[in-house]
Amino acid sequence: MTPEAQQMIEHLVLLIRKPNVKVEENTPLVSSGLIDSMALVDLLQKLEDLTHTRIPPGKVQPKDLDTVALMFATAQRVGKARK
Amino acid sequence: MNRFRNLIEALDAAPADRPFVTAWIDEDESETVTFGEFRKRARFQAGILRDHGVTCGNRVIVIMPQGIPAMTAFVGAMMLGAVPAFLAYPNFKVEPSKYRSGLAGVTANLSAKVVVIDEGFPDEMLSYVSLNDRSKLLRARGGQTPRTGVELPQLDYPSETLAFIQHSAGTTGLQKGVALNHAAVLRQLEHLAQALKIDTAIDRVYNWLPLYHDMGLIACFMLPMVCHLPVVMQSPLDWVMHPETMLQIITEHKCTLAWMPNFAFQFVPRRTPPSRSGQYDLSSVRALINCSEPVRASSMHEFQIAFASIGLRSTALQSSYAMAENVFAVTQSDRQFGPAGICADGAEFRTKHLIVPVADGTAGSVSFQSSGRLLPNHEVRIASGSGELLANGHVGEILIRSDNLFAGYYNRPDLTAKAIIDGWYHTGDLGFYLDGELFVAGRKKDLLIVGGENLYPQDIEEIVASHPAIHDGRVVAMGVYNPDLGTDDIVVVAEVERDALLTNSVEIERELRNLVVAGIGVAVRTIFLKPPKWIVKSTAGKASRSSTREKLLREHRELNTEIEDRQST
Repeated sequence: MTPEAQQMIEHLVLLIRKPNVKVEENTPLVSSGLIDSMALVDLLQKLEDLTHTRIPPGKVQPKDLDTVALMFATAQRVGKARK
Repeated sequence: MNRFRNLIEALDAAPADRPFVTAWIDEDESETVTFGEFRKRARFQAGILRDHGVTCGNRVIVIMPQGIPAMTAFVGAMMLGAVPAFLAYPNFKVEPSKYRSGLAGVTANLSAKVVVIDEGFPDEMLSYVSLNDRSKLLRARGGQTPRTGVELPQLDYPSETLAFIQHSAGTTGLQKGVALNHAAVLRQLEHLAQALKIDTAIDRVYNWLPLYHDMGLIACFMLPMVCHLPVVMQSPLDWVMHPETMLQIITEHKCTLAWMPNFAFQFVPRRTPPSRSGQYDLSSVRALINCSEPVRASSMHEFQIAFASIGLRSTALQSSYAMAENVFAVTQSDRQFGPAGICADGAEFRTKHLIVPVADGTAGSVSFQSSGRLLPNHEVRIASGSGELLANGHVGEILIRSDNLFAGYYNRPDLTAKAIIDGWYHTGDLGFYLDGELFVAGRKKDLLIVGGENLYPQDIEEIVASHPAIHDGRVVAMGVYNPDLGTDDIVVVAEVERDALLTNSVEIERELRNLVVAGIGVAVRTIFLKPPKWIVKSTAGKASRSSTREKLLREHRELNTEIEDRQST
């Protein structure tokens, strides 16, 4: 696991507010209801910070953020270098 | 708008080369269609619907993602004299079982000739679309090129003919389809345009609201279509994931008008990094209208403070009271001065249901933000629980009458008879009328009546949520009958920020009780502190009072006993 993925997991644990839930790289987050729609924006901002990219709106759907692994794959696929 | 007999005539009158809808995906991708191109695409959709047997008066259900194809399918149906209705597209926010049962109920009630879905509509949902032996499912395919010269019959029907059906709530769960005719919609749009002083030369609408909701459908689709204004729109899901894009779109397109519910006035500033907000410019906005939830002064203030430095004028923040049953707006705040605010004595408000103005900041006072003044040809009455009409400054149920009120719920004469009595629509909202302004306090069904005092759950919830141990927005206050006292007790259920905080629940409960007593002077009987994710959310992602109440009653037998006791008496 990359240090960025680890940082994302730490952020998710805070966001989810349930310390007894173990989050791993392939833990479903959106489809399992752990993350709600209002929290997606926090998650995207964190992803942009960690990947130093800007993730264009409209190019990412909730399913693209369902796991930590998918998030970083999505950032790589659609992320643009920050101006 | 009186010059048009129906909505299609109004669309046909728009200059062909004038931009109409811009579907904004991101800064590098958007599509704009002119009124001429929109008409061409809508006629193409009309041709397809006609080929599938749709004729005047048939219902057509459109369940497609927000965008130009959904809008042209909707208008295409109207071009045939058919009656379209948008339903919410399934997404991850909607609980599948709730969506399925709502979909089945609504599609059965509308008994549509055609249900239009897109290629991506989930197969597992198809069995819940109620189709009879005369109705068809139509999958709209992407990439279809509009044929030129689709000939349609000249529409010549009375303006009292049904134009479309809009549903009175965002979910498909409610089977209350509000049936609206062309004349009512055109009259509403004329009143709204007059109140907002719409200027075709400069006005441009921004929209992220879903089109199955009256704010999205009427204010952000029908108003631009009839007044020939450009509208820049994005999908609600894109907005909720990137609320900052609202600022970006308004800046890029110099939008002047937008509508959004109260929660968005907090959500956008809280989710926009201050490091980025400086690059935007909101000076083009002349009316950003708070609508569809009770208007909170604190939310408006938060938005104003956050974005004043990027050109947002204080007079741009406006309010409106609107509902599908009235097509849309009942009131609109003053364009020059914005909504009025009032500070009232809290005890008089709760015990006598009376507004007695006091100085701002007076201890124990309550603040209200007005929803504005009545639109032309609109009347309002305030009625007590027993139906007695109340004078200005008294709190009661809001009744409305207008020249654009709906005729009834589609196929539901039972619901219509309960809602419209002697020409007055009983809104189910509580509020008061004062100095020519309408103030909305909350929903009648949510009201807590404790020892003769009227308490609004959102006031208690706001206080409880201000405690650092409680997760913001995850609080529900409710009244639970106490048979010993013969009145409701206040019960609060709240989620703590972290499980670990539950070990300190006694102290937190004590602090919460003190906060509520200090804030509104009433005692909470029971506080249930719950772990994260316990509160049941609505499809909009907010705490659902009714579902949370049901869950609490299921888990706590002692509360059930009290309910049973009341029901048996």
